[in-house]
Amino acid sequence: MRWLESTPDRYDAGMRLLTLGRVTRLHDAIADAAAEKPGDRVLEIGCGTGAVTARLAARGAAVTALDQNPEMMERARHRLETAAEPCTSVEWIERTASEIDALPAEHFDGVVASLCLSEMSRDERAFVLREARLRLRPGGRLVVGDEVRPHRALLRVVHATLRAPQAIAAWLIAGSLSRPIPDLEGEMRAAGFEIERGEHFLLGGLALVVGRR
Amino acid sequence: MSARSRLGDTVRDVLQTGFRMAPWPTETGLRAVGDPGPGSPVLITGNYDLTVRRVLRALRGVDAWLLVAPSQGINVWCASSGGHLSTHQVVTALKTSGIEERVWHRRAILPQLAATGVLARDVSRRCGWKLRFGPVYAEDLPAYLANDGVKTDAMRHVHFGVRERLEMAAAWATPTALVLGGLAALSRPAWCPPVVVMTALMATAVFLVYDRLPEPRRLVLGAAGITVALAAVLSAGGGPGALMAAGVVPALLTALLTFDYTGSTPVEGGSHFEERHWQIALDVDRCKGVYNCWAVCPEACFEKREELRVVELAHDDRCIRCGACVVQCPVDALAFEDESGQRIEPDQIRRFKLNLLGQRRVSPEG
Repeated sequence: MRWLESTPDRYDAGMRLLTLGRVTRLHDAIADAAAEKPGDRVLEIGCGTGAVTARLAARGAAVTALDQNPEMMERARHRLETAAEPCTSVEWIERTASEIDALPAEHFDGVVASLCLSEMSRDERAFVLREARLRLRPGGRLVVGDEVRPHRALLRVVHATLRAPQAIAAWLIAGSLSRPIPDLEGEMRAAGFEIERGEHFLLGGLALVVGRR
Repeated sequence: MSARSRLGDTVRDVLQTGFRMAPWPTETGLRAVGDPGPGSPVLITGNYDLTVRRVLRALRGVDAWLLVAPSQGINVWCASSGGHLSTHQVVTALKTSGIEERVWHRRAILPQLAATGVLARDVSRRCGWKLRFGPVYAEDLPAYLANDGVKTDAMRHVHFGVRERLEMAAAWATPTALVLGGLAALSRPAWCPPVVVMTALMATAVFLVYDRLPEPRRLVLGAAGITVALAAVLSAGGGPGALMAAGVVPALLTALLTFDYTGSTPVEGGSHFEERHWQIALDVDRCKGVYNCWAVCPEACFEKREELRVVELAHDDRCIRCGACVVQCPVDALAFEDESGQRIEPDQIRRFKLNLLGQRRVSPEG
């Protein structure tokens, strides 16, 4: 969803519209899966405007939030600091996902990637998944919520047809595309994760996958 | 190259020249050019298909690694200026592409026009790679590599010759002709060919003379467009059809002619700079004579004053406010300043970028 990123003001509303409101539920589900108990250390890759960050903080997690876009991060910070219950304990890191290898190893209880792996090239995604696993303590979990290619052939055709107008609009407006991940579970397994849970929404085009180290 | 792939290459050239404004993403990652080894040079570019194919063509006979960094399918200059090809993307490409296992050195060459967005010293601090800004044009790469990375003055400067002008004319005329010609085909099919021809001719004329017109260029162009349209109507004679033509076609063409060409030509800076009169300001007291500005300026605005170890902003009339000098100055001696003395500090430019198309707002207060 990089094209919405160039206009952070519209990012949240745009995402709700594009996912028919499902993104809010996805955010809740991601936060529930990642922050199992208060005090859990959670690393969020690509925090964007902080929708998931706020939910993680509200569940009592100690969040480290990473994003490469300073404008998005400013927004996220503002969102958490001006919330009904302000949160100032989040550690904000303005870096790309490929730099998580600089963070301490076996340190986090959870790693979260919401709608950001689909913006990466396959090389980058493989690197980030491998490194994410090394940041987790043994038994820690990776929670991914993202655009995926539906498993079933018929759904794939329907999904591609319905997605086309949005993809063309994104391409015309800002010249960018996030590409649905062809085999998210497979790529997570290849990085060494054990898949614990996988749910698909929106005709199978949106997935929530939890993997354990 | 087989006949079939040559045909594909030509088709893509034509399409991408006509629809140049659209992004043309290509696969990111590492590509071997020729037969590279662990000591071969590493070249970085963005994932704009037209550029990547031109670089590959320019590198025939050279052994090198070409690292295609994600720039959202946008060309290097626009992507760098708009924040899509920045330090982040270069770090990502270097770390995740596997190049670190292929070569024993850690030196890479970036196109000079990436200097508006990529901060070489940050890349070095963050992943250990040393970056140099190579020539502006891919065609100069073989000579640059053969000459141990010594850049001639000509390799440093953007040119806007007949070829570039025709390319930009095609980029503007194709989508416009498609829309106007389409409208004509729906209403009066007979108008379709003349509308398309007129669009092509006018776009070509505009880009051939654009920077030679007196200011304000857009007003001059608008007046010229209306004159041409009126002349066309008068010579076509009266009647309702001609009156329609007098209303619709010239209005649309004049709209095209008076469009803001920001970013399409290297002769004009971003329009939001024009409106706010942002200029490059050099603080000579801070200048240490590093000459990064001189090395990355695509318009040769700076002169070295070797005896004083400072630089002089000798030709600021040529400045297009691309911001490369501001971004690359290691001692922050350059910034944008307006007439009232308000400044946009270098760090703000480095962090947020100044998108030429104005999508990213930068306020002087921060």
